[in-house]
Amino acid sequence: MPAAEVAARVRESLQSVKSADLKDAQLFEVLRLAQQLTDTMQMFFGSLDQSIHAEFHAIADYIARTRDEIAQLRPNDIREQRIPIAGAELEAVVKDTEQATDTIMGEAERLMSLEPEDLDGYKGEVDMAMCRIIEACSFQDLSGQRVSKVVGSLRHIEDRVSRFAATMGVHDAEASEEERAEEDRREKLHLNGPAMGGPETDQASVDDLMAMDQDSIDALFD
Amino acid sequence: MAVEMSMPILVVDDYKTMVRIIKNLLKQIGFENVDEASDGQEAFEMIKKKKYGLIISDWNMEPVTGYELLQKVRGDEGVKATPFIMVTAESKTENVIAAKKAGVNNYIVKPFNAGTLKAKMSAVIGDF
Repeated sequence: MPAAEVAARVRESLQSVKSADLKDAQLFEVLRLAQQLTDTMQMFFGSLDQSIHAEFHAIADYIARTRDEIAQLRPNDIREQRIPIAGAELEAVVKDTEQATDTIMGEAERLMSLEPEDLDGYKGEVDMAMCRIIEACSFQDLSGQRVSKVVGSLRHIEDRVSRFAATMGVHDAEASEEERAEEDRREKLHLNGPAMGGPETDQASVDDLMAMDQDSIDALFD
Repeated sequence: MAVEMSMPILVVDDYKTMVRIIKNLLKQIGFENVDEASDGQEAFEMIKKKKYGLIISDWNMEPVTGYELLQKVRGDEGVKATPFIMVTAESKTENVIAAKKAGVNNYIVKPFNAGTLKAKMSAVIGDF
């Protein structure tokens, strides 16, 4: 039963008792105080009801806005279309690259194994091999287009996720235990992967490091 | 002492094309007795069964990396003296130093050419 209704009933009961022509002044005083208490309680519970109502209203608005933003994110499109297609494109790039490399290396290996006794025949073999190598290099055009599509999909996902995070005021949670363990493992085993734009330390610098004694290397970190 | 050109060499890389490239380069410089493994675990099992004159290994492989393979080899009394060259795209100074501390004999940064491979092999196993 809502607070306002309870208060109204209490007030009604008090009114009924007061109107019963009571002779006892003390009882009358008690009833007056009870009436004041009821009025105060009604105001209190009334404001509480309004405050809870406002809170629920704000929560409902937030849920509606979250649903809208999630809908804008189009998670089903990302999960069912964009990521599977991007994955398939990258697999195709790997496959095309492998095929081209296999063709080019196969031709190179075949040429290296030829015995150039008949020069005209040897030249014909070399010319044919070169044509096949050039044809195989056409994979680069297709791979370039496929990679561009993947980059486009990643940008699309990045835009939507960034907008969602900004609108909802999302802050990154701590990395999971599994992620931290993998990060620690990669750090411990120095698994950094290829550097962007060529080796971070070129071969000449590597040779210098290899030629240094341990004390000199340690001194680099002092 | 002259290098025995028929000595067995183990090439370790999870990327088959790179194994093929290294095998071709080794063939070009005269080494044809070449075995291959696709990660550190498989390589270590082979090294325990057969005596290799040289190990040429990539760094970044799963489940056992080339760095772990180097540590395993250097920590095993029976095979610890096997020459070991790291051939890798891991080009941070910390990688080179970690490999040196673990006992690598030489370090080649990818991409590389036949001249670099030959020079580093000569530095490790002697002129050929």
